[in-house]
Amino acid sequence: MSLISIIRYVILIASAIGLAACLQTPPPQPAPPPIPTVGEVDLNTATSDPQEYLLLDIGVEVFEVEISEQEALEFGEWIFTEIRENEAHYLPYILRNTLLASNQWGAARVLPTRDPSMDLTIQGTVLSSDGQRLIIWIEALDSTGRVWLQKEYADESLTDDYPISTRYTPGSPFDASKFIEPFQDIYDQINNDLVQVRQTLSIEDLIDIKRVSELVYASDLSPESFAHNLSKDENGRMSILTLPAEDDPQMRRVEEMRLRHHLFIDTVDQYYESLYEEMQAPYVVWRKYSYDQIEEETNAEDEAYDFSNYGRSRGFLTLTQRYDRYRWSKIFEMEYRDLSVGFNNEIAPEILQLNEQVHGLNGTMEEQYIQWRRILRQLFALEAEIPN
Amino acid sequence: MTHIVQQKKLYSAGCRLLSFCALCLAINLPSIAQTTDDDLPLLDLDSPIRMNFSGSWEKDFARSDNWEDELSRRMQIRQENAALQASGVGLGNGPSISLGNINLNRPRRRQANLVNLARLAEYINRNSTMEIFQDRNEIRIERRGEAPLVCSMETGPNETFSSQHGAEICGWDRNQLVFEMALPDGLYIIHRFSVTSDSQMLQMITSISSNGSVPFNLVQSYNKYQAPPDEYNCIQTITRGRVCSQRTPLN
Repeated sequence: MSLISIIRYVILIASAIGLAACLQTPPPQPAPPPIPTVGEVDLNTATSDPQEYLLLDIGVEVFEVEISEQEALEFGEWIFTEIRENEAHYLPYILRNTLLASNQWGAARVLPTRDPSMDLTIQGTVLSSDGQRLIIWIEALDSTGRVWLQKEYADESLTDDYPISTRYTPGSPFDASKFIEPFQDIYDQINNDLVQVRQTLSIEDLIDIKRVSELVYASDLSPESFAHNLSKDENGRMSILTLPAEDDPQMRRVEEMRLRHHLFIDTVDQYYESLYEEMQAPYVVWRKYSYDQIEEETNAEDEAYDFSNYGRSRGFLTLTQRYDRYRWSKIFEMEYRDLSVGFNNEIAPEILQLNEQVHGLNGTMEEQYIQWRRILRQLFALEAEIPN
Repeated sequence: MTHIVQQKKLYSAGCRLLSFCALCLAINLPSIAQTTDDDLPLLDLDSPIRMNFSGSWEKDFARSDNWEDELSRRMQIRQENAALQASGVGLGNGPSISLGNINLNRPRRRQANLVNLARLAEYINRNSTMEIFQDRNEIRIERRGEAPLVCSMETGPNETFSSQHGAEICGWDRNQLVFEMALPDGLYIIHRFSVTSDSQMLQMITSISSNGSVPFNLVQSYNKYQAPPDEYNCIQTITRGRVCSQRTPLN
């Protein structure tokens, strides 16, 4: 037996002894830090159409995913990482819908990456997500670089959030129109916080945001022509140095390009909508299973570990009973894992379709988006006869 | 005699030719690799190479331990040891065994007795078939009525399952795949899988001990068999359950 295999064996045995020791005397579970949940929130909705200067265009970027060190070490974590990556496409769309439902904003779109034509950009990172709780980090910046939000939002679901009808069966199929998002309060709170920040800004500030976003987009298309119109201070805040003339022909072309660009990103947004619709039923069902699984685990943890549950006998029946309890708890856990794989299996064609949507462009949706912007830049350069 | 010498010369010339070809191949390998690199599979040298356990396996009762025979054998050894002890022959630090089988198997530190451990080993190994699926990332052993044994291909140990009813780790000990389960109250189960190099025979050793007792080992041998080809491709989905499509035969 080689030295390496001896070391392996020793590690294996030591781990097993450690595991056995853990089972004999379970260490007290550290209490999770309290999550400041958003609670019940009412969406701040505009009853009448807001003024033009209030209607900022919002781009909600596809969320990032943060996997904790502990999660990364868990066996089978790749299944859940894939779920998190899939929901990073899904959750921004709920926020986008909420922003539109509030009637407080201009266009709101889900985008694969940062877009220079947006007045307000929202980036999110999913810190924790299961059927029971959702924690997301939200950052909102306007075109001038002003920070609107930098905040962690958390919410917890209740059993009532997953009615019996959530369980998808052939007899009672999932009805999206009757379903209420369990974490809707988070999105309502984000909208309300954004409205609150907007209220602190003057009309000039809001008009300025729109002008800067126009010039940022123009500068993105042709830095040679428009970069000098903007300045950036050491804090990254953008301000307008000079405004192009109203009848500036280049600026008119920029406007035309911007319109085409918005048509493109509207189409991209539709692809995310399609993904959202396809994903909704399996995602909701998976979250329900996840919720049940967590509830089971929590209930089991709450029960004090009691040897009397097992009996003190060392008889054959006691041993088989002990083994069967272990066996069934593992079967239950493995079924949950299989269902999670089932969710990824079901979503895989939709994700593939999202990435294949734009003909002539290739790669992921994010890569296609970058290619599109490059094409627009080249087009603008050709039209304006500006050498590349 | 001359014939043998001629054969040797021919053999030697053949070897030289082969060596030359091998040398040429080695020299030209980079250029060949460059021209045909699209056809060559990329070797993942980071992942360890494991024996092939995959397939359908059925128990070979002739080569497998019968739990009652194994128990009798173990009891016999104990009786012999007891006899040796009685006759004054030292047994080192072995378990103390009293005379005449009285308290022969008395559990110490609340250990389950050997008979019960043997019966449990038989209960755990009651299945006569198993299916093993293996790829570059993980191995999954499925037995009817049992939770699948799943392990990563990394050396490990990996904690694969943990609940209040028990915990499981797995890992690779050279070419053997090992699963260790620690159940409450000191019950400890180890499955050790090994396979022959031609992947036709598999051995599974189950060791069961209680509170550090001498384990009861049950050796089970399996032969690979050709399960009828699956007519359907099935995948698990969450809203439609298991979705199957008919497999298209490859011509």
